[in-house]
Amino acid sequence: MNNFNKRETIISAGIDIGTSTTKLIISQFSLRNVAGATHVPRIEITDKEVLYKSPVFRTPLQDAVTINVAGVQQIIRSEYAKAGIQPSQIETGAVIITGETATKRNASEMLHQLSDEAGDFLVATAGPDLEGIIAAKGSGSYESSGKSGRVIANIDIGGGTANIAVFKDKQLLGTCTMHIGGRLIEFENGVIRTISPPVERLLRDQGYTLQVGDPQSAKAVSFVTTYMAEAMARILKKEIHAQDHILLLGHEPNWTQAVDTIVFSGGISECMYHHASDEIQEAQYDDIGIQLAEALLHNASLKHFTWQEPVETVRATVLGAGTQTTEISGATIQVAPHELPLKNIPIHQYDFEEDLATGLSHFEDAVQQAVTLYDSAKEGQNFALYLSNLPYLGFRDVQQLAKAIVQIMNQRPHPEQPIILVIQSDHAKVIGQTLAALQVKQSIICIDQINVETGDYIDIGKALTSGVVPVVVKTLTFHTT
Amino acid sequence: MDLNEELIQQITKMVVEKLEAASSGQTAQQTTSEQKVKLFSQQPVGQLEVETLKNSPSGAVTFHSMTEEPQRAIATVKPKPTTAFGKPKAEPEEDRFAEYRKKTPARIGVGRAGSRPKTKTWLQFRLDHAAAVDAVYGEVPDDLLDQLGLFQVQSQVADKEEYIRRPDLGRKLSDEAKAIIQERCKKSPVVQIVASNGLSAKAIEENLEDVYLSLEQSLNNMNIEMGTTFYVDKGRVAVMDDIGELIQPDVVVMLIGERPGLVSAESLSAYMCYKPRHGTIEADRMVISNIHKGGIPPVEAGAFLGTIIQKILKYEASGVSLIQKEG
Repeated sequence: MNNFNKRETIISAGIDIGTSTTKLIISQFSLRNVAGATHVPRIEITDKEVLYKSPVFRTPLQDAVTINVAGVQQIIRSEYAKAGIQPSQIETGAVIITGETATKRNASEMLHQLSDEAGDFLVATAGPDLEGIIAAKGSGSYESSGKSGRVIANIDIGGGTANIAVFKDKQLLGTCTMHIGGRLIEFENGVIRTISPPVERLLRDQGYTLQVGDPQSAKAVSFVTTYMAEAMARILKKEIHAQDHILLLGHEPNWTQAVDTIVFSGGISECMYHHASDEIQEAQYDDIGIQLAEALLHNASLKHFTWQEPVETVRATVLGAGTQTTEISGATIQVAPHELPLKNIPIHQYDFEEDLATGLSHFEDAVQQAVTLYDSAKEGQNFALYLSNLPYLGFRDVQQLAKAIVQIMNQRPHPEQPIILVIQSDHAKVIGQTLAALQVKQSIICIDQINVETGDYIDIGKALTSGVVPVVVKTLTFHTT
Repeated sequence: MDLNEELIQQITKMVVEKLEAASSGQTAQQTTSEQKVKLFSQQPVGQLEVETLKNSPSGAVTFHSMTEEPQRAIATVKPKPTTAFGKPKAEPEEDRFAEYRKKTPARIGVGRAGSRPKTKTWLQFRLDHAAAVDAVYGEVPDDLLDQLGLFQVQSQVADKEEYIRRPDLGRKLSDEAKAIIQERCKKSPVVQIVASNGLSAKAIEENLEDVYLSLEQSLNNMNIEMGTTFYVDKGRVAVMDDIGELIQPDVVVMLIGERPGLVSAESLSAYMCYKPRHGTIEADRMVISNIHKGGIPPVEAGAFLGTIIQKILKYEASGVSLIQKEG
């Protein structure tokens, strides 16, 4: 039975597995009904409290291309114990594999194993764009963009990549990812131990030679960090040179308004601001990180921007993953409790364009497209249908819509799978109940007031006492170099 | 009233000078010997950007020109908006109220003309006010009730004027109404649904069908028994006590038109009470309000009411007692 009046808390975990470092955060969310007593309840997260922050660990790797899964599991297990948390207590959160780690051979496989180890909670992975967005939320840039009215670029630089996310008024304007990071050249005993492929390409392109075994003080090393800082300034101004494409990972910057404030987060920003300098460092670095931080700090072009200090440096992404990825569904929804939690459900959007009749006339295409996109081999990958821009619906319209939903859902390769619907407007309960009244054979998961689009994946958590479900929206794109 | 002739002369002179300056593209020469007349502040005051009203509510006021605009013959008279309020901005500042407007139907950032609202805003206000009055004095169409199969009874109120003056009479059923209800209604049902125009016939007209059908479906899904639904003309919420005595249901759900406001004249409320009888206290009634196109969608509200009724039945309480029992 739903009880909307009680305050309730849920525990969220965030785990960030990056190129250089791995860290974990446990936080507690308070949920309350924020609507008046005579209104339909609206459950929102009203408070977030960080219960435990792990030290910064070196990411365990088996070799250059393989993550040491057992090592990661060991870290999680011991940190949970230190935090006094059982995996079963965790009801939401996200695991994020960031930077170049996501290109590691066994990244995808590891996520599946982690979901068992880290609790039956929601597991997410990030594509580079989402990483940047999550870091901006963790570093405080997203929040402050809503207050200042300025165009803020959050630049999260870790070991492998720099993830830029640009916000204004809490609206995402664009993203960009670059091969700029501390671990792109590593040293050992004063000589170069590794050079990453993008840096090798850059050096070749610019006519420098640098090899493993060369001294740490080689001219080419300082050239690389200076070039990276210059390229960063050009990207932020959208004045990209042809040779900068070597450092781009994916698309070019796609924001249209000029950036006026920049915020650095991630491990490199820790080298700039030293927020965590009094902590015992678990991880030791011997790479270009500090030099890169210096180069960025002293770059003349970057000085044209207003600099803002982040709230969180090295832990921005993990904080974002642990505290900013969970959304709460509308309070009036219809979910089959035994089907939850659901993980990695791809979203297929169907836009009604404010017209029911026209929308329904092409409704069948929605399933065909979704199956082509997500289940081309007809192996039974289910999907969630996202109904957006529905017109004002009367009861008879809802009945018509529900009948059409049943019809098209029965055309799936595996029609017996649950019917998963995400409705943009506040209609989930009536559509769910109408489907139930039609005595559909399938389980029904019908939630609303979550914004998603085609290409997103969602995890839907177990229903909470107040009847709402936590939802994590994510994208699962692993990038490859 | 005395008119200061000297002042009028000065102003006329200034205006002529300005016009001349405007046509010749030069600034008027200020003669130093002349006392400068300051009628109003030279500095801008208050909100200067022109706010455009976006997403105006249904029934928005629009203007149509009824006469043909004659072509102006004097090409030299070009109003220059640069005198009192300084130079117009090259780029209009972004609409800073746009975000707020998405979240509220309130009339914010509508601008002003001097100390008055703009004509468009004022007409919109008058229109909304008229709609509110119409909602109170309007009638629910019979075919709506026929379609839903509801029969109609009267409270003890004779007409609308009395309905407004005597709330107590709106809380009682007429003798004729009692007889009809006795004859036609199923006795001791689990849930008795009643509709009433209350203070807005428009609310019933727009929302009753969707709320009712959705609620009926919700109760059917949960196997909760429903009584014979009917309509009370000119009823007040507490008429449910009379109905409770007559029919002895476990729960009464009263769908009644809300007092109309300037944001919506068609908002419906659903009042619910566990075993309402004579002597029921107001704290035991509960309500879901704001059911209309711009509030809670009526179909969703109906579906949600089913869930609340299920809870009332489980705890055998409503209103404040329900919250206490829930703990």
